[in-house]
Amino acid sequence: MIKNIDASVVGTRQPRLDGPEKVSGRALFTDDVRPAGMLHGKILRSRYKHARILKLDTSKAERLPGVKAVITAVDATGIYATQNEPAICGDVTRYIGEELAAVAAIDEATAAKALELIDVEYEVLPSVTTIKESLEPGAAQVDPGIPGNIVSDNTDSYGETDEAFAHADLVFEDKFVTRPTHNLFAEYHVCVADFSRPDKLDIWTPTQTAYLFQHSFARSFKLSLNQVRIVHLHTGGAFSGRGSVRPHHYIAALLSRKAQRPVKVFSSGDEEFLICRTLGDNEYKLRTAVNRDGIVKAIDVEATLDGGGQGHALGYFGWMVGLCMSWIMDLEGIRFRRQVVLTNQRPNYLGHGGMMIGTNAGLMQQLQRIAATLNMDPVDLLLKNAIEAGHHGMTGEHFASCGLKECLEKVRDASGWKDKYGKLPKWHGIGVSMGSMAAGARGAFKHDTSAAMVKVGEDGLVTVYTGIPDMGQGTHTTMAIIAAEVLGIRAQNVQVVAGDTDITPVDVGAFAQRGTIMTGNAVKNAATEAREQLAKNAAEYLGVAEADLEFAGGHIYVSGSEIDLSVQGDDSILPGTRSAKNAEANQAAVASSTESDGKPTSVSFAKIAYGSLHSKEGRFVMGRGFYTTPVDFGTAAWSFGAQIAEVKVDPETGEVNVLKVWVAHDCGRAINPLAIEGQIDGQVYSAMSQVLYEECETDEGQYLNPSRLEYKMPRTYEMPDVEYFIVESNDPYGPFGAKEVGEGPIVVAGGAIAAAVSNAIDAFLPEIPMTPYKVWREITKNEKRRRGEAA
Amino acid sequence: MAKHIMCLTVNGDLHEFAVDDTDTLLDVIRNQVGFTGTKRGCTTGSCGVCTINNDRGESILACLTHALEWNGEAITTIEGLEANSELDAIQAAFVEFGAVQCGFCTPGVIMSAKALLNKYPNPTEEQINEGMAGVLCRCTGHIKVKEAIRNDFRLRQAKSGVRR
Amino acid sequence: MLLPEHAYHQPASLAECLDALVRLDAGRAKDDERLAKVQVVAGGTDVIFNMRLRLFQPENLVSIRRLPELQKIEQLADGGLRIGAACRLVDIADSPVIHKRFPALKDAIDAIASVHIRNIGTLGGNICLETRCWYTNNSAEWRNGREGCFKTDCEQCHVIPSSHVCHAINNADSPLALIVLNAVLTIQSAAGSRELPIADFYNKDGIAHMALEAGELVTHVTIPPCEDRSVFIKFTPRKGMDFSLGAVAARCGGSGEQASDVSVVIGSVSSAPIILDEPARILEREGLGDAAIDNAVERIRDEMGEVTNLYARATYKKQITKVLVRRALVALREH
Repeated sequence: MIKNIDASVVGTRQPRLDGPEKVSGRALFTDDVRPAGMLHGKILRSRYKHARILKLDTSKAERLPGVKAVITAVDATGIYATQNEPAICGDVTRYIGEELAAVAAIDEATAAKALELIDVEYEVLPSVTTIKESLEPGAAQVDPGIPGNIVSDNTDSYGETDEAFAHADLVFEDKFVTRPTHNLFAEYHVCVADFSRPDKLDIWTPTQTAYLFQHSFARSFKLSLNQVRIVHLHTGGAFSGRGSVRPHHYIAALLSRKAQRPVKVFSSGDEEFLICRTLGDNEYKLRTAVNRDGIVKAIDVEATLDGGGQGHALGYFGWMVGLCMSWIMDLEGIRFRRQVVLTNQRPNYLGHGGMMIGTNAGLMQQLQRIAATLNMDPVDLLLKNAIEAGHHGMTGEHFASCGLKECLEKVRDASGWKDKYGKLPKWHGIGVSMGSMAAGARGAFKHDTSAAMVKVGEDGLVTVYTGIPDMGQGTHTTMAIIAAEVLGIRAQNVQVVAGDTDITPVDVGAFAQRGTIMTGNAVKNAATEAREQLAKNAAEYLGVAEADLEFAGGHIYVSGSEIDLSVQGDDSILPGTRSAKNAEANQAAVASSTESDGKPTSVSFAKIAYGSLHSKEGRFVMGRGFYTTPVDFGTAAWSFGAQIAEVKVDPETGEVNVLKVWVAHDCGRAINPLAIEGQIDGQVYSAMSQVLYEECETDEGQYLNPSRLEYKMPRTYEMPDVEYFIVESNDPYGPFGAKEVGEGPIVVAGGAIAAAVSNAIDAFLPEIPMTPYKVWREITKNEKRRRGEAA
Repeated sequence: MAKHIMCLTVNGDLHEFAVDDTDTLLDVIRNQVGFTGTKRGCTTGSCGVCTINNDRGESILACLTHALEWNGEAITTIEGLEANSELDAIQAAFVEFGAVQCGFCTPGVIMSAKALLNKYPNPTEEQINEGMAGVLCRCTGHIKVKEAIRNDFRLRQAKSGVRR
Repeated sequence: MLLPEHAYHQPASLAECLDALVRLDAGRAKDDERLAKVQVVAGGTDVIFNMRLRLFQPENLVSIRRLPELQKIEQLADGGLRIGAACRLVDIADSPVIHKRFPALKDAIDAIASVHIRNIGTLGGNICLETRCWYTNNSAEWRNGREGCFKTDCEQCHVIPSSHVCHAINNADSPLALIVLNAVLTIQSAAGSRELPIADFYNKDGIAHMALEAGELVTHVTIPPCEDRSVFIKFTPRKGMDFSLGAVAARCGGSGEQASDVSVVIGSVSSAPIILDEPARILEREGLGDAAIDNAVERIRDEMGEVTNLYARATYKKQITKVLVRRALVALREH
């Protein structure tokens, strides 16, 4: 037992370990990388939304002094960015901005000039830019291989949806749409590629998944996995936007191969908005069957999604969106149909929060209005329907841990809901929302494995090797905390090595909210193996059985004995290490470690580490671990959350002022409460941003506002206060009971803010984002309708 | 076009280099002086990742000003905030209060915060909002950034042992 | 979005600068300002932005940022103020005399963009802000995606297809306040100097929106003494950064509900600020009570002229302008 100090690491507010390097400007991002001889690449993009390329003459560009390589579709034969999407378009371009050619030159200005020298002759073809146009009979075909412009039409159906609808007391139906967005991370898309050797491709780029990137490059360039090296340094935010290799990555590699030098491709200004793949125009019809007692029986969603010029990947993720709703309520049936339509717009995919911010915004508005119709308090309605731990879901999920009801109760009480709902002054609104998010997603790829290695140095400092990128969510610090907890040392004595596939073990990546649970468990397993190796040595040293040892406070001690950490000094002992000034104290401490009957009952972690490595056999201490979800498909753990938002609307301008958001999230276990709060902050922000501000304004296949200025994201003035409640349901699968917090809160926040605005103006808002103009328009429509009814 | 020789004091050190007419201050900081902490982002003045401080400690967007304008002047970049291997109080506050996540906007946000605190050492909410409205932070939603700024004054007091 | 090739000149004096404006523009192809071979730059926050978009590509930039003659905020004997065109917006906003005597100007300047921009942007730069339109204020590559327009040397407007003129919007904030404060501009060239009330400086033309000839430079702004109440408010999607969807400056003599010599100017709905006439006369006749304000606000529509869907729907922009004018007038009354 450790006296005087709480030696636990999990659960303490741990400032992120890479914080100092980030705040001092030392942290390197891809744009800071400059391998010797690096060239600058620029991409020629289609100027028409649908056109046949009749001629592409690069001869003048090739002759420009300083140009080292020019590539076209011919150089990219067989290289596909996604299923059917060539990295460089050769024949028919389907959207403005599609890649047609690229140049690499000794500086950016020369590369830009070279682009201007490429002669392109287009034959403009008829095009379609909206879902409506696309589905009209006789509409222009975006892809001749996709008749009717419908890429896919999938319906996932669980339970007895039609029957539930037939027998329910009431059916509510609402239609709503969401508009195109951008993930809007701070770090612009960038890639540095070095393909100057035929058997090794080095790629520097921000990413959510080095592993999948490695696979994509290897497959495309017919290399083996280890011949592709992905270096991802620090990643400047991802928000669902860096999960797959894009044309510009391949183009950087192709340019490098041709020029035989490293090449950097940096996307500038509005190019960002052309190449990001986020949400497009999506249309939803949401039907909910409910009984008079407030029990929701079934949900039926029909969605039409604008896939843009290449909609292939989109249909896949639909299944999760529908299921999401079934994870929070005990439904009899759920059906989710999504039709993916091609248009001559930017290819679309998922945004931050998948597309679930939109669907939850619709659902929570609807549920709040259902509650009003049934004369029920919306929180009571949600509580009545919320699932509990042990519930079995519609596809066989077993929700082993669930704090959903506790979350609802916490925010209800903290926000003063009972005194506010229905009692606020006019134009003030309050809304409640709940949600759930899977932690991990097996079935999305061949496996869902994370692996980790833990190395213990002779100075007692530990290194964790992990393949998972940290794009800001704090995963690396979390891994350090987990390793530190297992080994009984401080997180500050753990360094995390990541970001280079030549060095790190496999990890599918940081998406589907799998980091904490999958990688966390892998690190836990690896640290456990290292601990076993140390335990063997410590047991010999202390003369006890391995099973009688505990690791905590930088020491290894016999269970049942007491050690007073206040006299133990630092836990690394070598002079010249970080704690050299404490070395003396340590020597003294080691010499006088707590004794019982003349035998020591504890020894410092560092001493055992040193002893192992300096033993006659040179016993290195290195643990390996891996983890994959125990279920065949999907995941075994879900986070849950509930939020309440309070807003004030200016009826004359439609401006929405979000006053406060109360957030309760069941993340299983708070490994690092400081990081969890940070995640919640960022997601409340992003949800608010998507529900109230973000919108790509379109005109004929072009975005009118492709800039950080005109594409609106809230700034300092707009931010509400946020109050956090972390609920710990201690999941049996998660490391130390932890699940996820990386995307759960954003979905819930979207619903809460939408419901609050709906409450403030007493209307269902059918378009997200609810910009001031649209809110004002609904208010005006409502007034007219009321006056008409009164007349 | 011929280059020009200019000099610029960066974080207290005098540098001399040759620039093009078209070079911006951001270009010379990253490419000539070689400090990569100041980032390249939107290059049109709305994201703030290129923020540095002029000699009055005010926030300046390095992407929107010609290098030649700064001939003979002095600037501070993120690398110049620490002293004697110790982080400045505001940098330490950012780490302590969780105001850093992905870190890409962090240099620009901190230089903006530093400028704000130079002008208003104990700023009101309104002053914080105004001083920081020119930078974007997607990861934190500005929430813990503002908390770190609010606490800077108290931390400095504690550090210097002075109670006013 | 790289800066196009250009030469950067830093004259040491105003005289040198004015000479350079003539010398460097010699041999310009047409008397069309879009083909000017020289462009003045002060803080650079608008010029560099627009050059990155290749909205114009002058061969020469002439910097006035450090010209000694243009740096002062000078208090005049009669109680007025004379401000050099190269004065930084932050210095003007922080000036106590401006805060005290010309609150509309302080409010207008505080509302410009962000602190970062105001730390280098100048009053001259804001007065001469380029008009804006989302069909042109995007990159050159973006504009390749559709045919050109009046601003880019093609005879059409994307905002109103049937139009014969450019509808780019003037979003500048300080001019609105300066107009209601009866400011006068000093405009100099190598040939001499002239004074022009800022109220006469703007043309309702998205391209040639300023009454400035080739070789001319706005050097000073003189504001006459003013004891009146004045106010400026603007509406933006986000506070502290954006160009407005509507803005209003208003000034009047008298106190409380009594109003004399009323001036109300609205911005960001047209290529030039609009000085409201009938609404101001109504207030002078009827005062600043609620009914009079309602009456005045109703009349705005007649004088707003054509409002486009640029940056926001026309109906919404009209609503915003009406709301802002009402709020500005109430603020004046309660001053």
